[in-house]
Amino acid sequence: MMRSTTSHRRSLYAALGVAAILALWELLSLVVNPAIMASPVDTAKALAGLAWGSRLWVELLITLKRLVIGLAVGAGAGLVLGVLAGMEGRVRSFLEPLRWAGMTIPAVIIAVLAMFWFGLGDFTVIFIVALIVWPTMYVNTVSGIRSVDPKLVEMGRVYHFPRRLLLGEIYLPGIASPVMAGLTLSTGIAVRATVLAEVLGALSGIGHAFYRANSNLDAPQLFAWIVVLLALMAVIEFGVLRPLKRRVLRWRKEAG
Amino acid sequence: MITFQNVSKAFDSLKVFNDLSLHVATGEILGVVGPSGSGKTTMLKLITGIVPPDTGTVTVAEGAVGYVFQEPRLLPWRTALDNVAGSLRAQGKDKAGARAAAAGWLERVGLAGFEGYHPAELSGGMAQRVSVARAFAVEPRILLLDEPFSSVDTVLKSSLMDILESIIRERRATVVYVTHDLGEARRLADRIVEIVPRRGVRELGA
Repeated sequence: MMRSTTSHRRSLYAALGVAAILALWELLSLVVNPAIMASPVDTAKALAGLAWGSRLWVELLITLKRLVIGLAVGAGAGLVLGVLAGMEGRVRSFLEPLRWAGMTIPAVIIAVLAMFWFGLGDFTVIFIVALIVWPTMYVNTVSGIRSVDPKLVEMGRVYHFPRRLLLGEIYLPGIASPVMAGLTLSTGIAVRATVLAEVLGALSGIGHAFYRANSNLDAPQLFAWIVVLLALMAVIEFGVLRPLKRRVLRWRKEAG
Repeated sequence: MITFQNVSKAFDSLKVFNDLSLHVATGEILGVVGPSGSGKTTMLKLITGIVPPDTGTVTVAEGAVGYVFQEPRLLPWRTALDNVAGSLRAQGKDKAGARAAAAGWLERVGLAGFEGYHPAELSGGMAQRVSVARAFAVEPRILLLDEPFSSVDTVLKSSLMDILESIIRERRATVVYVTHDLGEARRLADRIVEIVPRRGVRELGA
Protein backbone atom coordinates (compact mmCIF):
# COMPACT_ATOMS: atom_id res chain seq x y z
CA MET A 1 0.00 0.00 0.00
CA MET A 2 2.79 2.38 1.02
CA ARG A 3 4.83 1.41 -2.04
CA SER A 4 1.81 2.07 -4.27
CA THR A 5 1.22 5.52 -2.70
CA THR A 6 4.91 6.43 -3.11
CA SER A 7 4.81 5.28 -6.71
CA HIS A 8 1.68 7.36 -7.43
CA ARG A 9 3.29 10.40 -5.82
CA ARG A 10 6.41 9.93 -7.99
CA SER A 11 4.27 9.66 -11.14
CA LEU A 12 2.46 12.84 -10.14
CA TYR A 13 5.74 14.75 -9.72
CA ALA A 14 7.03 13.39 -13.06
CA ALA A 15 3.79 14.57 -14.76
CA LEU A 16 4.24 17.98 -13.12
CA GLY A 17 7.82 18.07 -14.46
CA VAL A 18 6.58 17.36 -18.00
CA ALA A 19 3.90 20.07 -17.62
CA ALA A 20 6.54 22.55 -16.44
CA ILE A 21 8.72 21.84 -19.50
CA LEU A 22 5.72 22.29 -21.82
CA ALA A 23 4.76 25.58 -20.08
CA LEU A 24 8.32 26.88 -20.33
CA TRP A 25 8.46 25.87 -23.98
CA GLU A 26 5.14 27.65 -24.70
CA LEU A 27 6.36 30.76 -22.89
CA LEU A 28 9.66 30.82 -24.85
CA SER A 29 7.81 30.36 -28.15
CA LEU A 30 5.77 33.48 -27.36
CA VAL A 31 8.82 35.70 -26.88
CA VAL A 32 11.33 34.14 -29.32
CA ASN A 33 11.15 34.48 -33.10
CA PRO A 34 8.87 31.61 -34.34
CA ALA A 35 11.33 30.97 -37.20
CA ILE A 36 13.77 29.51 -34.68
CA MET A 37 11.47 28.37 -31.85
CA ALA A 38 8.29 26.46 -32.78
CA SER A 39 5.47 26.41 -30.22
CA PRO A 40 4.21 23.11 -28.74
CA VAL A 41 1.03 23.42 -30.83
CA ASP A 42 2.91 24.02 -34.12
CA THR A 43 5.23 21.13 -33.24
CA ALA A 44 2.22 18.85 -32.60
CA LYS A 45 0.75 19.83 -35.97
CA ALA A 46 4.04 19.11 -37.75
CA LEU A 47 4.26 15.78 -35.90
CA ALA A 48 0.72 14.84 -36.96
CA GLY A 49 1.58 15.73 -40.56
CA LEU A 50 4.69 13.52 -40.47
CA ALA A 51 2.77 10.61 -38.91
CA TRP A 52 -0.13 10.98 -41.34
CA GLY A 53 2.13 10.99 -44.40
CA SER A 54 3.97 7.87 -43.12
CA ARG A 55 7.36 9.64 -43.37
CA LEU A 56 7.71 9.51 -39.59
CA TRP A 57 7.40 5.72 -39.53
CA VAL A 58 9.79 5.19 -42.42
CA GLU A 59 12.54 7.34 -40.87
CA LEU A 60 11.85 5.90 -37.41
CA LEU A 61 12.21 2.32 -38.65
CA ILE A 62 15.46 3.13 -40.47
CA THR A 63 16.93 4.76 -37.34
CA LEU A 64 15.64 1.97 -35.08
CA LYS A 65 17.23 -0.71 -37.28
CA ARG A 66 20.63 1.06 -37.25
CA LEU A 67 20.36 1.73 -33.52
CA VAL A 68 19.49 -1.86 -32.60
CA ILE A 69 22.20 -3.42 -34.81
CA GLY A 70 24.85 -0.89 -33.73
CA LEU A 71 23.95 -1.32 -30.06
CA ALA A 72 23.86 -5.12 -30.32
CA VAL A 73 27.28 -5.24 -32.02
CA GLY A 74 28.88 -2.62 -29.76
CA ALA A 75 27.36 -3.73 -26.45
CA GLY A 76 27.80 -7.41 -27.39
CA ALA A 77 31.50 -6.86 -28.17
CA GLY A 78 31.91 -4.85 -24.95
CA LEU A 79 30.27 -7.63 -22.93
CA VAL A 80 32.28 -10.50 -24.43
CA LEU A 81 35.60 -8.62 -24.29
CA GLY A 82 34.74 -7.40 -20.78
CA VAL A 83 34.13 -10.95 -19.53
CA LEU A 84 37.41 -12.15 -21.08
CA ALA A 85 39.36 -9.16 -19.73
CA GLY A 86 37.73 -9.40 -16.30
CA MET A 87 38.73 -13.03 -15.96
CA GLU A 88 42.22 -12.75 -17.45
CA GLY A 89 44.61 -9.93 -16.56
CA ARG A 90 46.72 -10.41 -19.71
CA VAL A 91 43.65 -9.82 -21.94
CA ARG A 92 42.83 -6.74 -19.85
CA SER A 93 46.32 -5.29 -20.30
CA PHE A 94 46.22 -6.08 -24.02
CA LEU A 95 42.86 -4.31 -24.48
CA GLU A 96 43.66 -1.33 -22.24
CA PRO A 97 45.12 0.91 -25.05
CA LEU A 98 42.09 0.13 -27.24
CA ARG A 99 39.70 0.97 -24.36
CA TRP A 100 41.57 4.18 -23.68
CA ALA A 101 41.48 5.20 -27.36
CA GLY A 102 37.77 4.27 -27.62
CA MET A 103 36.87 6.45 -24.65
CA THR A 104 39.16 9.35 -25.56
CA ILE A 105 38.55 9.94 -29.30
CA PRO A 106 35.54 12.29 -29.69
CA ALA A 107 32.45 10.75 -31.28
CA VAL A 108 32.45 13.31 -34.09
CA ILE A 109 35.99 12.29 -35.13
CA ILE A 110 34.96 8.62 -35.25
CA ALA A 111 31.96 9.65 -37.40
CA VAL A 112 34.04 11.72 -39.83
CA LEU A 113 36.65 8.96 -40.10
CA ALA A 114 33.97 6.30 -40.76
CA MET A 115 32.44 8.49 -43.52
CA PHE A 116 35.92 8.95 -44.99
CA TRP A 117 36.42 5.18 -45.06
CA PHE A 118 32.98 3.83 -45.95
CA GLY A 119 31.03 6.74 -47.47
CA LEU A 120 27.38 7.37 -46.53
CA GLY A 121 24.84 4.71 -45.55
CA ASP A 122 23.68 2.02 -43.13
CA PHE A 123 27.07 0.39 -42.56
CA THR A 124 28.72 3.69 -41.70
CA VAL A 125 26.07 4.54 -39.09
CA ILE A 126 26.17 1.06 -37.54
CA PHE A 127 29.99 1.12 -37.47
CA ILE A 128 30.01 4.52 -35.73
CA VAL A 129 27.41 3.46 -33.14
CA ALA A 130 29.19 0.18 -32.34
CA LEU A 131 32.56 1.90 -32.01
CA ILE A 132 31.20 4.60 -29.71
CA VAL A 133 29.17 2.18 -27.56
CA TRP A 134 31.57 -0.71 -26.85
CA PRO A 135 33.92 0.93 -24.29
CA THR A 136 31.08 1.79 -21.88
CA MET A 137 29.78 -1.79 -21.83
CA TYR A 138 33.34 -3.12 -21.64
CA VAL A 139 34.27 -1.01 -18.60
CA ASN A 140 31.07 -1.92 -16.74
CA THR A 141 31.53 -5.63 -17.49
CA VAL A 142 35.20 -5.68 -16.43
CA SER A 143 34.43 -3.94 -13.15
CA GLY A 144 31.45 -6.30 -12.65
CA ILE A 145 33.56 -9.43 -13.19
CA ARG A 146 36.28 -8.14 -10.87
CA SER A 147 33.76 -7.43 -8.13
CA VAL A 148 32.20 -10.93 -8.21
CA ASP A 149 32.51 -12.36 -4.68
CA PRO A 150 35.81 -14.33 -4.67
CA LYS A 151 34.37 -16.63 -1.99
CA LEU A 152 31.68 -17.79 -4.42
CA VAL A 153 34.31 -18.35 -7.10
CA GLU A 154 36.32 -20.39 -4.59
CA MET A 155 33.20 -22.42 -3.78
CA GLY A 156 32.78 -23.12 -7.50
CA ARG A 157 36.39 -24.25 -7.79
CA VAL A 158 36.15 -26.48 -4.71
CA TYR A 159 33.11 -28.19 -6.26
CA HIS A 160 34.92 -28.44 -9.62
CA PHE A 161 32.43 -26.29 -11.52
CA PRO A 162 33.43 -26.55 -15.18
CA ARG A 163 34.10 -23.23 -16.95
CA ARG A 164 30.58 -23.22 -18.45
CA LEU A 165 28.98 -23.57 -15.01
CA LEU A 166 31.36 -21.06 -13.38
CA LEU A 167 30.32 -18.55 -16.03
CA GLY A 168 26.59 -19.37 -16.04
CA GLU A 169 26.07 -19.85 -12.31
CA ILE A 170 28.56 -17.44 -10.72
CA TYR A 171 30.09 -14.84 -13.04
CA LEU A 172 27.15 -13.89 -15.30
CA PRO A 173 24.50 -13.61 -12.54
CA GLY A 174 27.14 -11.81 -10.45
CA ILE A 175 27.64 -9.13 -13.10
CA ALA A 176 23.94 -8.76 -14.03
CA SER A 177 23.55 -5.51 -12.11
CA PRO A 178 26.58 -3.61 -13.53
CA VAL A 179 25.84 -5.03 -16.99
CA MET A 180 22.27 -3.72 -16.86
CA ALA A 181 23.63 -0.32 -15.76
CA GLY A 182 26.10 -0.51 -18.66
CA LEU A 183 23.34 -1.41 -21.10
CA THR A 184 21.20 1.55 -19.97
CA LEU A 185 24.16 3.93 -20.36
CA SER A 186 25.13 2.34 -23.70
CA THR A 187 21.60 2.71 -25.07
CA GLY A 188 21.54 6.43 -24.31
CA ILE A 189 24.96 6.81 -25.95
CA ALA A 190 23.81 4.68 -28.92
CA VAL A 191 20.76 6.90 -29.58
CA ARG A 192 22.91 10.03 -29.56
CA ALA A 193 25.57 8.34 -31.71
CA THR A 194 22.96 7.11 -34.23
CA VAL A 195 21.52 10.60 -34.68
CA LEU A 196 25.01 12.14 -34.94
CA ALA A 197 26.04 9.54 -37.51
CA GLU A 198 22.82 10.12 -39.49
CA VAL A 199 23.32 13.88 -39.48
CA LEU A 200 26.85 13.47 -40.80
CA GLY A 201 26.93 10.20 -42.70
CA ALA A 202 23.52 9.12 -44.01
CA LEU A 203 20.78 10.16 -46.42
CA SER A 204 17.91 8.78 -44.34
CA GLY A 205 16.81 8.29 -40.75
CA ILE A 206 15.71 10.69 -38.01
CA GLY A 207 19.12 12.40 -37.85
CA HIS A 208 19.07 13.14 -41.57
CA ALA A 209 15.43 14.31 -41.42
CA PHE A 210 16.42 16.63 -38.56
CA TYR A 211 19.35 17.93 -40.64
CA ARG A 212 17.02 18.60 -43.62
CA ALA A 213 14.44 20.38 -41.47
CA ASN A 214 17.28 22.57 -40.20
CA SER A 215 18.50 23.31 -43.75
CA ASN A 216 14.92 24.20 -44.79
CA LEU A 217 14.53 26.45 -41.70
CA ASP A 218 11.41 24.43 -40.83
CA ALA A 219 11.28 24.98 -37.06
CA PRO A 220 8.05 23.02 -36.36
CA GLN A 221 9.45 19.93 -38.13
CA LEU A 222 12.82 20.36 -36.41
CA PHE A 223 11.11 20.30 -33.02
CA ALA A 224 8.82 17.45 -34.13
CA TRP A 225 11.86 15.23 -34.78
CA ILE A 226 13.23 16.09 -31.33
CA VAL A 227 9.91 14.95 -29.82
CA VAL A 228 10.12 11.73 -31.87
CA LEU A 229 13.61 11.09 -30.48
CA LEU A 230 12.45 11.65 -26.91
CA ALA A 231 9.49 9.32 -27.49
CA LEU A 232 11.84 6.69 -28.91
CA MET A 233 14.08 6.92 -25.84
CA ALA A 234 11.05 6.68 -23.53
CA VAL A 235 9.80 3.53 -25.27
CA ILE A 236 13.26 1.93 -25.09
CA GLU A 237 13.80 2.84 -21.45
CA PHE A 238 10.35 2.15 -20.02
CA GLY A 239 9.21 -0.53 -22.48
CA VAL A 240 12.40 -2.55 -22.86
CA LEU A 241 15.24 -1.75 -20.45
CA ARG A 242 13.31 -1.44 -17.18
CA PRO A 243 11.24 -4.63 -17.68
CA LEU A 244 14.46 -6.43 -18.73
CA LYS A 245 16.22 -5.21 -15.60
CA ARG A 246 13.29 -6.32 -13.43
CA ARG A 247 13.41 -9.75 -15.04
CA VAL A 248 17.18 -10.20 -14.84
CA LEU A 249 17.36 -9.04 -11.22
CA ARG A 250 14.07 -10.55 -10.08
CA TRP A 251 15.85 -12.73 -7.47
CA ARG A 252 16.58 -9.57 -5.50
CA LYS A 253 12.90 -8.75 -5.22
CA GLU A 254 11.98 -12.35 -4.41
CA ALA A 255 14.68 -12.37 -1.77
CA GLY A 256 13.19 -9.16 -0.32
CA MET B 1 42.61 -41.36 2.47
CA ILE B 2 44.60 -38.11 2.69
CA THR B 3 48.37 -37.87 3.02
CA PHE B 4 50.54 -34.80 3.53
CA GLN B 5 54.19 -35.61 2.88
CA ASN B 6 56.82 -33.05 3.91
CA VAL B 7 54.52 -30.20 2.91
CA SER B 8 55.68 -26.61 3.27
CA LYS B 9 53.52 -23.62 2.45
CA ALA B 10 54.12 -19.90 2.83
CA PHE B 11 52.14 -16.83 1.74
CA ASP B 12 54.75 -14.22 0.86
CA SER B 13 57.00 -14.15 3.92
CA LEU B 14 54.43 -15.78 6.22
CA LYS B 15 55.33 -19.44 6.69
CA VAL B 16 52.19 -21.50 7.43
CA PHE B 17 53.51 -25.07 7.28
CA ASN B 18 57.06 -26.28 7.48
CA ASP B 19 57.68 -29.92 6.57
CA LEU B 20 54.19 -31.11 7.55
CA SER B 21 53.54 -34.84 7.34
CA LEU B 22 50.13 -36.22 8.25
CA HIS B 23 48.01 -39.21 7.28
CA VAL B 24 44.22 -39.51 7.52
CA ALA B 25 42.99 -43.07 6.96
CA THR B 26 39.95 -43.88 4.83
CA GLY B 27 36.77 -43.43 6.89
CA GLU B 28 38.61 -41.65 9.69
CA ILE B 29 37.29 -38.42 11.20
CA LEU B 30 40.20 -36.13 11.97
CA GLY B 31 39.61 -33.12 14.19
CA VAL B 32 41.99 -30.20 13.58
CA VAL B 33 42.26 -27.52 16.23
CA GLY B 34 44.45 -24.47 16.49
CA PRO B 35 44.33 -20.75 17.06
CA SER B 36 43.05 -18.32 14.41
CA GLY B 37 45.54 -17.81 11.60
CA SER B 38 47.41 -21.02 12.36
CA GLY B 39 46.69 -22.50 8.93
CA LYS B 40 43.58 -24.64 9.53
CA THR B 41 41.77 -23.37 6.42
CA THR B 42 44.98 -23.52 4.38
CA MET B 43 45.21 -27.22 5.27
CA LEU B 44 41.73 -27.78 3.77
CA LYS B 45 42.58 -25.74 0.68
CA LEU B 46 45.72 -27.85 0.19
CA ILE B 47 43.51 -30.96 0.30
CA THR B 48 41.11 -29.56 -2.35
CA GLY B 49 44.04 -28.62 -4.57
CA ILE B 50 42.92 -24.99 -5.00
CA VAL B 51 46.09 -24.02 -3.11
CA PRO B 52 49.24 -25.92 -4.17
CA PRO B 53 52.03 -26.75 -1.68
CA ASP B 54 55.38 -24.96 -2.13
CA THR B 55 57.22 -28.21 -1.49
CA GLY B 56 56.13 -31.75 -0.66
CA THR B 57 53.00 -33.57 -1.84
CA VAL B 58 49.37 -33.85 -0.81
CA THR B 59 47.79 -37.12 -1.93
CA VAL B 60 44.02 -37.46 -1.81
CA ALA B 61 41.93 -40.54 -2.65
CA GLU B 62 39.92 -40.40 -5.88
CA GLY B 63 36.32 -39.27 -5.55
CA ALA B 64 34.14 -36.28 -4.83
CA VAL B 65 35.00 -33.74 -2.15
CA GLY B 66 32.30 -32.07 -0.05
CA TYR B 67 33.17 -28.78 1.66
CA VAL B 68 31.22 -26.92 4.32
CA PHE B 69 32.64 -23.41 4.68
CA GLN B 70 32.54 -21.19 7.77
CA GLU B 71 29.77 -19.18 6.13
CA PRO B 72 27.16 -20.81 3.85
CA ARG B 73 28.58 -19.39 0.57
CA LEU B 74 25.32 -19.88 -1.30
CA LEU B 75 24.62 -18.25 -4.65
CA PRO B 76 22.22 -15.40 -3.72
CA TRP B 77 20.46 -15.54 -7.12
CA ARG B 78 19.69 -19.26 -6.88
CA THR B 79 17.08 -20.98 -4.73
CA ALA B 80 18.06 -23.41 -1.97
CA LEU B 81 17.24 -26.28 -4.35
CA ASP B 82 19.40 -24.95 -7.19
CA ASN B 83 22.27 -24.18 -4.80
CA VAL B 84 22.39 -27.85 -3.86
CA ALA B 85 21.72 -29.01 -7.42
CA GLY B 86 24.61 -26.84 -8.70
CA SER B 87 27.27 -29.04 -7.08
CA LEU B 88 25.62 -32.10 -8.65
CA ARG B 89 25.49 -30.49 -12.09
CA ALA B 90 29.22 -29.82 -11.73
CA GLN B 91 29.60 -33.60 -11.50
CA GLY B 92 27.84 -33.97 -14.84
CA LYS B 93 24.33 -34.78 -13.61
CA ASP B 94 21.48 -33.43 -15.77
CA LYS B 95 19.36 -30.61 -14.36
CA ALA B 96 16.27 -32.70 -13.56
CA GLY B 97 18.27 -35.48 -11.89
CA ALA B 98 20.34 -32.97 -9.92
CA ARG B 99 17.21 -31.21 -8.68
CA ALA B 100 15.53 -34.46 -7.64
CA ALA B 101 18.60 -35.51 -5.65
CA ALA B 102 18.96 -32.02 -4.18
CA ALA B 103 15.33 -32.07 -2.97
CA GLY B 104 16.07 -35.33 -1.14
CA TRP B 105 19.08 -33.81 0.62
CA LEU B 106 17.18 -30.67 1.61
CA GLU B 107 14.56 -32.90 3.19
CA ARG B 108 17.30 -34.79 4.98
CA VAL B 109 18.60 -31.60 6.62
CA GLY B 110 15.10 -30.56 7.63
CA LEU B 111 14.42 -28.03 4.88
CA ALA B 112 11.53 -29.72 3.03
CA GLY B 113 9.22 -26.95 1.85
CA PHE B 114 12.04 -24.39 1.56
CA GLU B 115 13.31 -25.55 -1.85
CA GLY B 116 12.16 -22.40 -3.64
CA TYR B 117 13.55 -19.94 -1.09
CA HIS B 118 16.49 -17.70 -1.91
CA PRO B 119 19.39 -17.52 0.61
CA ALA B 120 18.38 -14.05 1.81
CA GLU B 121 14.99 -15.47 2.80
CA LEU B 122 16.59 -18.13 5.02
CA SER B 123 17.97 -17.71 8.54
CA GLY B 124 21.73 -18.19 9.07
CA GLY B 125 21.19 -21.70 10.43
CA MET B 126 18.92 -22.70 7.55
CA ALA B 127 21.42 -21.38 5.01
CA GLN B 128 24.19 -23.39 6.68
CA ARG B 129 21.98 -26.50 6.46
CA VAL B 130 21.67 -25.87 2.70
CA SER B 131 25.47 -25.74 2.63
CA VAL B 132 25.61 -29.08 4.49
CA ALA B 133 23.10 -30.57 2.01
CA ARG B 134 25.27 -29.32 -0.88
CA ALA B 135 28.35 -30.99 0.61
CA PHE B 136 26.62 -34.36 1.10
CA ALA B 137 24.75 -34.27 -2.20
CA VAL B 138 27.97 -34.93 -4.13
CA GLU B 139 28.32 -38.27 -2.26
CA PRO B 140 31.75 -37.21 -0.98
CA ARG B 141 34.60 -39.62 -0.36
CA ILE B 142 36.31 -36.73 1.41
CA LEU B 143 34.36 -34.29 3.56
CA LEU B 144 36.02 -31.05 4.68
CA LEU B 145 34.38 -29.00 7.43
CA ASP B 146 35.81 -25.55 8.05
CA GLU B 147 34.38 -24.36 11.39
CA PRO B 148 30.89 -24.91 9.97
CA PHE B 149 29.09 -23.90 13.16
CA SER B 150 31.10 -20.84 14.13
CA SER B 151 28.38 -18.43 13.05
CA VAL B 152 25.31 -20.19 14.53
CA ASP B 153 23.97 -20.08 18.08
CA THR B 154 24.49 -22.86 20.63
CA VAL B 155 21.05 -24.52 20.30
CA LEU B 156 21.23 -24.54 16.53
CA LYS B 157 24.82 -25.75 16.64
CA SER B 158 23.76 -28.82 18.60
CA SER B 159 20.98 -29.74 16.16
CA LEU B 160 23.25 -29.12 13.14
CA MET B 161 25.92 -31.33 14.71
CA ASP B 162 23.33 -34.09 15.21
CA ILE B 163 22.43 -33.94 11.51
CA LEU B 164 26.08 -33.88 10.47
CA GLU B 165 27.09 -36.69 12.79
CA SER B 166 24.31 -39.04 11.65
CA ILE B 167 25.10 -38.51 7.96
CA ILE B 168 28.86 -38.82 8.48
CA ARG B 169 28.47 -42.14 10.35
CA GLU B 170 26.15 -43.44 7.64
CA ARG B 171 28.34 -42.34 4.71
CA ARG B 172 31.70 -43.42 6.13
CA ALA B 173 33.50 -40.57 4.35
CA THR B 174 36.99 -39.50 5.33
CA VAL B 175 36.44 -36.28 7.27
CA VAL B 176 38.70 -33.40 8.23
CA TYR B 177 36.88 -31.26 10.76
CA VAL B 178 38.51 -27.92 11.49
CA THR B 179 37.43 -26.07 14.63
CA HIS B 180 38.83 -23.87 17.36
CA ASP B 181 36.56 -25.62 19.88
CA LEU B 182 38.21 -28.70 21.35
CA GLY B 183 34.87 -29.88 22.82
CA GLU B 184 33.25 -29.92 19.36
CA ALA B 185 36.22 -31.79 17.96
CA ARG B 186 36.03 -34.40 20.73
CA ARG B 187 32.36 -35.02 19.99
CA LEU B 188 32.87 -35.87 16.33
CA ALA B 189 36.49 -36.86 15.77
CA ASP B 190 38.24 -40.23 15.96
CA ARG B 191 41.56 -38.43 16.32
CA ILE B 192 42.53 -34.83 17.02
CA VAL B 193 45.61 -32.90 15.95
CA GLU B 194 46.59 -29.39 16.93
CA ILE B 195 48.27 -27.12 14.40
CA VAL B 196 51.44 -25.61 15.80
CA PRO B 197 51.87 -22.26 14.00
CA ARG B 198 54.63 -22.21 11.34
CA ARG B 199 55.64 -25.79 12.04
CA GLY B 200 53.29 -28.74 11.66
CA VAL B 201 50.85 -30.69 13.79
CA ARG B 202 50.85 -32.27 17.22
CA GLU B 203 48.68 -35.28 18.09
CA LEU B 204 46.18 -34.64 20.88
CA GLY B 205 44.58 -38.08 20.89
CA ALA B 206 40.78 -38.41 20.72
